Amino acid sequence: MSRSTVTRRHFLQTSALGAAAAAGVLHAPAVLRAQGSAVKIGVLHPVSGALSYSGQQGRIGAQMAIDEINAAGGIKSLKGAKIEAVLGDAQSTPDGGNAEVEKMNAAGVAAVVGGYASAICLSASQTAARYDLPYVVDVGVVDSIVTRGLKNTFRFGPGFGIIAKTALDNLVTINEAAGKAAKTVMIVHEDSAFGSGLAKLLNAQLPERGFQVLETIPHPTPTRDFNNVVLKIKAQNPDIVIPANYYNEYVLLARTMQQQRVQPKGIYSVLGGAASSYKFVKEFPEAAQYIMDCNHWFDPKNQKALELKKKIEAKGDFYTYEVYMNYSCVLLLSDALERAASADRAKIIAALESSTFAGHVMPYGPTKFVNGQNQGAAPVNTQVLNKDIEVIFPAAFASAKAVFPMPKA
Amino acid sequence: MKGLAPILFAIVALAMVPLITSSNVVINFLVMALLIALVGQGWNLLGGYGGQYSFGHAAFFGTGAYVTAILQMRYGINAWVGFVIGIAAGALVGAVIGLLIFRAGLKGSYFALVTLAFAEVLRIVASVAPITGAGVGTLLKLDLRPEAFQFQSRALFYWIILAMVGLSLVLTRLIEGSRFGAYLVAVRENEDAASALGVDATMVKLCAMTISAAMTAAGGCFYAQYFLFLDAGIAYGPWISIEALLAPIIGGVGTVFGPLLGALVVKTLGEVTKLMTGDAPGLDLVIYGGVLILVVAFAPRGIAGLFADLRQRFGFSKIGGEGSRG
Repeated sequence: MSRSTVTRRHFLQTSALGAAAAAGVLHAPAVLRAQGSAVKIGVLHPVSGALSYSGQQGRIGAQMAIDEINAAGGIKSLKGAKIEAVLGDAQSTPDGGNAEVEKMNAAGVAAVVGGYASAICLSASQTAARYDLPYVVDVGVVDSIVTRGLKNTFRFGPGFGIIAKTALDNLVTINEAAGKAAKTVMIVHEDSAFGSGLAKLLNAQLPERGFQVLETIPHPTPTRDFNNVVLKIKAQNPDIVIPANYYNEYVLLARTMQQQRVQPKGIYSVLGGAASSYKFVKEFPEAAQYIMDCNHWFDPKNQKALELKKKIEAKGDFYTYEVYMNYSCVLLLSDALERAASADRAKIIAALESSTFAGHVMPYGPTKFVNGQNQGAAPVNTQVLNKDIEVIFPAAFASAKAVFPMPKA
Repeated sequence: MKGLAPILFAIVALAMVPLITSSNVVINFLVMALLIALVGQGWNLLGGYGGQYSFGHAAFFGTGAYVTAILQMRYGINAWVGFVIGIAAGALVGAVIGLLIFRAGLKGSYFALVTLAFAEVLRIVASVAPITGAGVGTLLKLDLRPEAFQFQSRALFYWIILAMVGLSLVLTRLIEGSRFGAYLVAVRENEDAASALGVDATMVKLCAMTISAAMTAAGGCFYAQYFLFLDAGIAYGPWISIEALLAPIIGGVGTVFGPLLGALVVKTLGEVTKLMTGDAPGLDLVIYGGVLILVVAFAPRGIAGLFADLRQRFGFSKIGGEGSRG
């Protein structure tokens, strides 16, 4: 018969020890960081777990912006106060993000930037809302992030709605220019908020625009084998394959397609995790060639964007969208701090609400926040051409013309 | 009633924490640990006392979470009512899965694999079914009113999860001392012998699985109210199945306090390693994994078992040392 082997005294001893240790440990960062008159900013990314690559890239961008601001004399309206990053690892889970925001709040940050994945942004911004802590979403594209009525949450980049619409408009334009070469489509998407939300939108809107969706294939993140998915694609033989997934899965899918010699008329991704990533193009140029993408991208005609690119590449890192989006978000926040002339949370929120910030590196229209969403935000279309990534739409930022259908290898 | 006093002491001691510290970091940390303790207690009842090692407790956790969330968001049902229905739904799923598995006579690793399969099937269904919001997930509205089971203060959430853990401890203790508990342990030790003595093994296991599922589903319902966001990976993903079995295994399988001890130790370990490694991402997980291996290697009966062994070795024992899994 099973009797508990834990006596009352033992249990109390151990749990008291445990609680004391936990309390001591958890209080430590607040003590360590309580110094100076710097403005603390929470920099939250999933730097470990399934999204670690993107998270680390995001952190690089945010850190770069913070270093530049500090090197240029900090926040001038706050007597040159330096920005101090309180780094957080969301461990690629929403509850990880939530726990980090709690720690950042305890550490006394003035605002939080980041989140990356939609689910993390949803949870982290909500936790921040409890403390009226301003939260700038770096990437998280699900539209419910800004439609929940949270006053503290701001998204500088575009959301799904606008991205899917732009992507479809441009797809139709490209297809018409090629004499309507493509009629059928297959969608391969990751099965969390981002990929599924997008697949749903595409499934609703592609038929209206004259495309037939042959099949929609979801897969989890991480997925380490795409052979079956590619076999399905081979069997259905669609004109266009639309992948919507994160970096690793995207690369694997493209490489598996290359290995199995599946060559549709076009690979047209919407927020393809790798399609407009220099890392992918450099490491797998053949698999990447001619892939089109509608995604976040820097303004190729912006001097600051190009300088940042040089700096990042000089460090041996890749200039991916996480980098310049986080870079821009930190600059946006520092502009708000400058105008608020205070680290007071309510004042920062007010400053963000009225922001017309223009010093970023994105190809956006004028910055204007309505219910937390930047109305100027927009994606661009890119295509991998000759081992480089060129902008093909919109015309104002374009550096090349679209090549479609793909020339057969 | 004998054996309930330590539970009362433990719960009262833990209930003091928000009075000592107002840090939401600590409270949030303890809420997560207690959530794992509750889910782990569910697992422990079936796995520890009944010997049925499930790898798919996510099936119950996710059902509780989704039912609570969907009832509120789609049908406008009060959160507290949804909470109770969520627990009932989890218990029902447990009963159905249990009925299928136990009638088919699946044991040991087959039982583990089939429970894992059920959880995975539910995960995949949830990731495509429109009612769960498919992959987009279900978002509960932020509505910080007690009627909506949401509180401005984290401490209230903490006391609620603590009360749930307390209930689960009491229930486990009562089961342990009951005829049903004796049947359950008999089935664990030797099912054929138990059957020969007239124990209806299938029924006993089925009851244990239903209660176990209800406890785990309660954890899921709480998760939904606390984080207000669910997707298929959170609700039915393998993470929660692993947490559910890790806590009792580390703490002491088949002991009343095992899951609570295990959850506190595992979560504290996670935080400590995270702090020690500072900003080197992922290193904490490496250390965490290493320490877990050491714990399992040197304390195969968990922390509770380790204490019992030490007590016995150094001789200041009463009758200690009779570990549950001897």
